[in-house]
Amino acid sequence: MLENGFILRHPLGKLTGCESEEILPEGGFGAVMARAGVGKTALLIQLAIHSLLCNKNVLHMSLNDPVKKVGLWYKEVYRNIASQYSIADQEQIFENMLPHRFIMTFEVEGFSVPKLEERLTDLMEQNIFRPHVIFIDGLPFDESQIEPLSDLKAFVKNHSLKAWLTVRIHRDEKPDLDCIQAQLNSVEDLFETIILIQPEGKEIYLKALKGGKPDSVATGLSLDPTTMLIKESDWIKRT
Amino acid sequence: MKHDIFKVRNIGISAHIDSGKTTLTERILFYTKRIHAIHDVKGKDGIGATMDSMELEKERGITIASAATFCEWLDHEINIIDTPGHVDFTIEVERSLRVLDGAILVLCSVGGVQSQSITVDQQMKRYKVPCIAFINKCDRSGANPDRVIKQLREKLGHNSVAIQIPIGLEADFNGVVDLLSMKAFYFDGKNGEIFRTEDIPAELLQEAVKKREELIEAASVFSDELTDAILEEKEITESMIVTALRSGTLSRKLTPVILGSAYKNKGVQPLLDAVTKLLPCPHDTENEALDMDNDEAPVILTADPKKPMVALAFKLEEGQYGQLTYIRVYQGSLAKGDAIVNVRTGRKVKVGRLVRMHASQMEEIESIPAGYIGALFGIDCASGDTFVSPGLSYTLTSMYVPKPVISLAIAAKDSKSEVNMSKALNRFTKEDPTFKTYVSDETGDTIISGMGELHLDVYIERMRREYNAEVTSGVPKVAYRETITRKAEFNYTHRKQTGGSGQYGRIAGYIEPAEEEFIFDNKVKGGAIPTQYIPACEKGFKNCLAKGPKMEFPVTGIKITIDDGASHSVDSSDMAFQAAARGAFLEGYSKAKPVIHEPIMKVVAETPTEFQGTVMGSLNQRRGIIFGTQDEGTMCVIEAQVPLAEMFGYSTILRSLTQGKAQFTMEFATYKQVPQSVAEELMKKAAEDKKGSQKK
Repeated sequence: MLENGFILRHPLGKLTGCESEEILPEGGFGAVMARAGVGKTALLIQLAIHSLLCNKNVLHMSLNDPVKKVGLWYKEVYRNIASQYSIADQEQIFENMLPHRFIMTFEVEGFSVPKLEERLTDLMEQNIFRPHVIFIDGLPFDESQIEPLSDLKAFVKNHSLKAWLTVRIHRDEKPDLDCIQAQLNSVEDLFETIILIQPEGKEIYLKALKGGKPDSVATGLSLDPTTMLIKESDWIKRT
Repeated sequence: MKHDIFKVRNIGISAHIDSGKTTLTERILFYTKRIHAIHDVKGKDGIGATMDSMELEKERGITIASAATFCEWLDHEINIIDTPGHVDFTIEVERSLRVLDGAILVLCSVGGVQSQSITVDQQMKRYKVPCIAFINKCDRSGANPDRVIKQLREKLGHNSVAIQIPIGLEADFNGVVDLLSMKAFYFDGKNGEIFRTEDIPAELLQEAVKKREELIEAASVFSDELTDAILEEKEITESMIVTALRSGTLSRKLTPVILGSAYKNKGVQPLLDAVTKLLPCPHDTENEALDMDNDEAPVILTADPKKPMVALAFKLEEGQYGQLTYIRVYQGSLAKGDAIVNVRTGRKVKVGRLVRMHASQMEEIESIPAGYIGALFGIDCASGDTFVSPGLSYTLTSMYVPKPVISLAIAAKDSKSEVNMSKALNRFTKEDPTFKTYVSDETGDTIISGMGELHLDVYIERMRREYNAEVTSGVPKVAYRETITRKAEFNYTHRKQTGGSGQYGRIAGYIEPAEEEFIFDNKVKGGAIPTQYIPACEKGFKNCLAKGPKMEFPVTGIKITIDDGASHSVDSSDMAFQAAARGAFLEGYSKAKPVIHEPIMKVVAETPTEFQGTVMGSLNQRRGIIFGTQDEGTMCVIEAQVPLAEMFGYSTILRSLTQGKAQFTMEFATYKQVPQSVAEELMKKAAEDKKGSQKK
């Protein structure tokens, strides 16, 4: 989707070691973990914009925000990316992205995997939209979700999709890695990659808890607190 | 007038078309002795229902303009607004809900919760109007009140509780068992006017006891007294239940359900009882105004007749005696001879005749106190205007006005009709804020726009009937535009030497896409084009924009820079340079890859989830890009962008695709390039039109 003269890498490439290719395999699950307000949605949308720029169809599912708000998130994050990487013809590229993005929002209590499957079948059968990657924001993450998550994993696999999910860490939990690991234990097997967003002082670090390079915690990426964009990863490069 | 605010009820009757609202209102007026005979809605007897006062309404069997009326029941004064059930007239429903304190939601016992019930329910929620439900047509084949009560819960999210059970159903529907008094009600006499109370039939007693327990349990949430009585196993009185039910109803947390068949004259009197017992009086509702002198700070109005007057004109009607303005007084009192100020215009007016409306008949009154609805004559204002006592500068929060969704081009058949059409349009736009009219700059057509095809049809029909204006209507032309997509150079010489003085001018430069409509940049150096001819060059280019060379659509988004040229000391003139500019434009334009742009509308469709796929499919077929879907329980909102050209007739299609349960709004979003295939179609059509007009 970008004009000639740019090379796209994966924004999380430095953490996972697969800079030039997709991090998740087909049917794979990736998690973006953080406390509320630390930047899960912003990071998720950066990953989604990367997919869109790679000409992939993106289904964004939100259980928090209405369609309009999600649309604004994309606009804002894209605008920041475009000015950070000096992309010319910004508006046109964004316009071109829109038909490749579909936003679906549900009420948390109204969401279920069969419902998602029904909606998606509607879209695919009528050739309205066929996603390659699903981004899910706001799915509650507790013991009761193990079964729906397994169903979702099966669904993603059956349709040869990939999915990134946000996982909210509760405020009352200590931010040390062991505690978080404990929260994830029950569902960890479902995920190929787990990225933690962790604020430390004035910095916000990204750490790969799973699926990262062995030294990823040490060589972690960080987010720019003003734009919430990944700082060190030049994932859009001019040739 | 009695002026006891606690005994006033301002209520609306809202529901899906054909649920029997007008029939119900007619029966209410009969039992409250406002009328002495009952007429059919469709006017088979040549008279028509009292509330359907407009000739067209009687003919079509639908209620268009919400006529206001008042009646008395059990010492209570009830102001009723009969509202239209058709989705195209939603503004009427919205307006009435704005001024009402409570409503009766009429549901068909066979059809259940239908699309319009969903719409009016959402409107009631928006204006926080408490309601009671009346399940009508219990005498019809297929009547199933239990199913409708369930639908009220599932589809509308109401905490619906039956306060009656039916005695028989369908053809055997004889009356109702009242669960408050535990008595059976029958309706005898030719018109059900003889109200008979009996003991509950033995076969229904067990069910009645069970349902009463359910009712008490639901009501107890809203009353500590009732809860205590249950826990202490004390006697539960009717008044205890009524108090609890009223409290639940006023907070919109409970919806009492009443059963009946208005057409068969059954169940209307208990409904009136429920209106007086369960719906709020003006004192129970909080109304807010904005103080214009205090940075629009909200001010709570109190229904005190002694305070300065604040009133809202919520409906205008052109009657025999001039403009009739329906008004609700929120604070103070409006009396004959008072001087009042229209806050919008700042104009002071004197109150002339004051009337209380009874459909198209009226009753002269001396004043309208706070909490009451009335009408006044001879006041020039627009719908939604606030009137206040001199010295006050309050405005009542403006009414939510939905945006028009459909437009039509209209033309008067002759000059007499044209004058009348203009009068009619002026009147309709004042009466109805959802009806808009304007003259298209690009096509010169008079365009009318409104809430649906029927909405516009009715106005066209009214122009014919009421204003004697013969009008033809058609599909409006979509306002396409032309623009260019790349930079291109031009170097054109205009030379003419055919007798007399010659013409000479050369213009060179380039043409490129721009954000603005038109930019002209002069970079000519060294006087290659003498300064006095530069304005002629600009004018020449500008003149080319009105009709683009590609398809004769207006050209926009273009920047023209001239940087060179030549002139002749004798043959150059303004006209020569204008002609040169025209030639230069055509030369550059053809090389700049011109394209056609079309208006794209933002479409938001709201549909029950079971039709989500169908609605998305229909938008997709119309070249729409669906941005997203929002699940809201039983309903789903679909957001899309669709070319305007594909949206004509969509309201009808959407209704037929979804059994009338979905609705949509659309507004202009942007202009976008027309796809190649569509552009070719347009070109083909334009060529055919040209051929046709040449033949003529």
